[in-house]
Amino acid sequence: MLKILKDLSRKVIRSLFGPKKNIKIGFYGPPNAGKTSLANLLCQDWTGEDIGTVSEMPHETRGVSFKEKVEIKHKGKNLTFKFVDTPGIATRIDYEDFLKFKINKKDAKKRAKEATQGIIEAIKWLDDMEAVIVVLDSSENPYSQVNITIIGNLMARKIPVLLVANKIDLKKSNIKKVQAAFPEYEVIGISAKNRLNIDEFYDSLFKLAKKV
Amino acid sequence: MPNRCVHCSAVYKDGSEEVLTGCSSCNGKFFFYISEEKLKIILEDKSEEIELNDIDKKQIESDVREIAGIEDINSPVVLDFESVKITKPGKYLLDISNLFSKKRPLVYKLEEGKYFIDISSKNNLA
Repeated sequence: MLKILKDLSRKVIRSLFGPKKNIKIGFYGPPNAGKTSLANLLCQDWTGEDIGTVSEMPHETRGVSFKEKVEIKHKGKNLTFKFVDTPGIATRIDYEDFLKFKINKKDAKKRAKEATQGIIEAIKWLDDMEAVIVVLDSSENPYSQVNITIIGNLMARKIPVLLVANKIDLKKSNIKKVQAAFPEYEVIGISAKNRLNIDEFYDSLFKLAKKV
Repeated sequence: MPNRCVHCSAVYKDGSEEVLTGCSSCNGKFFFYISEEKLKIILEDKSEEIELNDIDKKQIESDVREIAGIEDINSPVVLDFESVKITKPGKYLLDISNLFSKKRPLVYKLEEGKYFIDISSKNNLA
């Protein structure tokens, strides 16, 4: 009941004072799916700055990072976002997995510790998000425990979600499989690295903002 | 549930003074909760236990303190291994369903400088 009243008052305020400013959007997903690549693309397009660094080595993003007041103009509409990039969520972090990227044992263990800390931090931040962009690697099996847990939790918390199937430039990419795994959500296939389908992504982003 | 000292494996009943003041045999202040059943299994069959040397144990304690943001090294820490398991330094297993649970906070700061890192809950949302 309280929630209905809250939603109603939010809608009334919105209609009186225009669109909401600085919509908080979080980028969530498994490691190495391209969360930071996509967040960087958006931030570069509209602020000329990156939000974080990207790497082939998983768990490059180990802390939550923000970009405030990203004003996006798309097809005559204008919205302002706060983007929150989060570390990749995983169920197992093993420093030995990093050794093949030619870093030493000490740094690999440090990376594992920071990645674990980052996951706990990312999950803590979820409550502050008004909407979430879940970035998945479309060349990987979508039915993973991480994907199902993240999306199941977002659904339970009633946070609006846009599913991004990234890496559509890869041969193994399969957007249909992602769509079949999560039929409740709109899935948009993109390649953040090669800038494929980004205009359509902006359409979906504005649709997502409407749900907030 | 009993508390077990990570450093010397001494076991204390829940609510024991040693958990606050430090382990009576090694003075350690890093404990974890262990169920009666698991404790029985370990005591009967040593192969069930994860082998860690002293350096590993110290490293794990300092990693846990850092992950949980507990700066005071004299504060006792009790870890609930249901959500974050550390099998060796640099090797972590995370139960993300538990981590996502909104029922309880990640780290409790109790009185007398005792911290309880409890990231588990039986009422998961996922």
